[in-house]
Amino acid sequence: MGGGIKVVGVNHRTAPLDVRERFAHGAHEVPGALARVMAAGAGGGVLLSTCNRTEFYLVSGDEPALDAVWTLLAERLPATGRTGDAGGEAREYGYIARDRDAVRHLYRVSAGLDSMIIGESQIQGQVREAWEASRAQAGPVLHRLFQTALHVGSRVRTETAIGRGTASAASAGVAVAGKIFGDLAGKSALILGAGDMAELAATCLSDEGVQITLVANRTHERARAIAERLGGTAVTLEEAWPYFATTDIALCSTSAPHAVVTWERVGAVIGARHGKPLCILDLAVPRDVDPAIAQLENVFLYDVDDLQTVAAQATVRRRDEIPAAERIVEEETDLFWAWYGGLGVVPLIKELRQRMDDVRALELERALRQLGHLSAEDRARVEQFSQALLNKFLHQPTIALKAAAEEGRGYGLLDALRRLFGMEPGGKE
Amino acid sequence: MILTLHLVALALYGLATALALAPFMGFRSVPRALTIALPCAGAAVHVVAISQLTPIGLGPALSMLALCLVLLQLASERLLRGSAVSFFAAPLATALVGLAILSGLAPGAEAAVARNVWFVLHVALSALGLALMALAFIAAALYLLQFRELKARRFGQVFQLFPPLEKLDQLNRFALVAGFPALTLGVVLALGYGAQFAGDLHAAKAQIVWGIFTWVVLGWAVWVRVVRHWAGRRAALASIAGFSAVLLVYVALKLTQPGAERFL
Repeated sequence: MGGGIKVVGVNHRTAPLDVRERFAHGAHEVPGALARVMAAGAGGGVLLSTCNRTEFYLVSGDEPALDAVWTLLAERLPATGRTGDAGGEAREYGYIARDRDAVRHLYRVSAGLDSMIIGESQIQGQVREAWEASRAQAGPVLHRLFQTALHVGSRVRTETAIGRGTASAASAGVAVAGKIFGDLAGKSALILGAGDMAELAATCLSDEGVQITLVANRTHERARAIAERLGGTAVTLEEAWPYFATTDIALCSTSAPHAVVTWERVGAVIGARHGKPLCILDLAVPRDVDPAIAQLENVFLYDVDDLQTVAAQATVRRRDEIPAAERIVEEETDLFWAWYGGLGVVPLIKELRQRMDDVRALELERALRQLGHLSAEDRARVEQFSQALLNKFLHQPTIALKAAAEEGRGYGLLDALRRLFGMEPGGKE
Repeated sequence: MILTLHLVALALYGLATALALAPFMGFRSVPRALTIALPCAGAAVHVVAISQLTPIGLGPALSMLALCLVLLQLASERLLRGSAVSFFAAPLATALVGLAILSGLAPGAEAAVARNVWFVLHVALSALGLALMALAFIAAALYLLQFRELKARRFGQVFQLFPPLEKLDQLNRFALVAGFPALTLGVVLALGYGAQFAGDLHAAKAQIVWGIFTWVVLGWAVWVRVVRHWAGRRAALASIAGFSAVLLVYVALKLTQPGAERFL
């Protein structure tokens, strides 16, 4: 229980997109990253990495574990030649929340209250995926925390109207394209990538009458499945570049770790459009499109941050639901904290009683040795007295501990008790 | 009566201008019905005023130009399903009506010619042609503002309230293509009328110079759009340059001509 629960990381409020995309971890990178942090002292960990945040949820993580997180993130930043504080550069972009604040933070994240688009539902799936990807390293406390976080997310969306209306990066992409082309019916779109986000955004465009002409992906089978559903043709990424000369909209959402739509690949092709506008929606993190392409006069390039800004404006009405959602988060934080506080109470009370009983038995034995003239009956009475005295002494602390645990204040008392009676882990046992 | 009607129209246009500019000054947008009703009411009063007006001289010409502009604003806003055109058109129309009142609405010494149907047609078509040119300018200005916001990835009031780029480009093209024949006919009627009834109306050299200059500029703007297939930002810049040139030449000629009440 030492060290409590912590969240350490960066999000869309604290770090710009170019930093967030460097900190983003693919699913295959999660176990390795958590292993490093746990080797530095964390007792359990979950890594939540989305386009808006990279957060490590840790249990029992003391300062070395937190330093390990910052170091791990800082390694992903371009070298600046600075020495000394290994994680300092990453720390500038991040935050740490501890204990109850950490619990509340995850609940707010899961409820969509910490999202760029208030109430967006995609985050709940991402919380679930993060939990599942970190299952082996999470430990019982984080299992419970993430399980309840998903419950909080569902509760907030069911009991409030925070998730009502369409407000996603994909629908914002449609709105932005609409501001360029007006009526989208009959416009053509090229889709790069075949993941869930690409499919969702392509469906949004298709619903507006946009003709999905091509779906390009590294894996041809996946591209073909989406292309068949939306009426386009599946091609490889290399085959897609010439189509930048004719398409009206290019929707990019690959999982490539670097920009795939580069000036070298499409600069000349776009130049041949003779001023015809091209709307590029880059939904990928890390970004798929080289920002230099936006310098072409007829190119309108929007990344995830831009689209989320547009979507956020469309969700102003959702803000009215924030107080109700926050109340649910607070309520659930209390429940979790009560559970967490109570976790250590029973074993600690048991341990405390055992210690006190050992002291009592030792002192009783010593006293009885000096009172050898006592009859067996009297010796039994003295022993009974010592037992009753111990029970009287421990009664009030036991009641107070249990009550504090039920009220969610157990953690602090347990910590104090461990220190007072030398029961710290690794201390005198 | 004419002056009173113009003052009422001015008040209604002024109110419409305030409502059109309100969202850009941080105030809440008013219901769309109101943003249409006010210029509609103003235009209705204005039509009554113009029907009693002798269409000769600066004041009546500016008044007719303002009415054409308001009618085109209403038509284009219906087409665009938005009120962005009024952002420019409403203050421009208000200013034109104000200038018309200040210039004087009474006919001058040449009032007799105003009864000639060819002359009335010349004034009406010229005013329509100029109003369409102004509309092309407004569409181009809106286009450039929206273009700048979209390129800069700013999603504020301009992004939300201005129409899509393609719609503005279409409006600019329509205004130029429709404005050119209207103005051509207006110029031809003026030349024909001048040749036939030269004795009744004194056609100043400045009027002919400005009329032909305007026709050439509008012709160039139409030519680059239709023949050279200019579109988007380049076409918008051409429209703005053309309209600005016409306006500047008019002001320059006006300042050098005697008689404040004459159109030129």
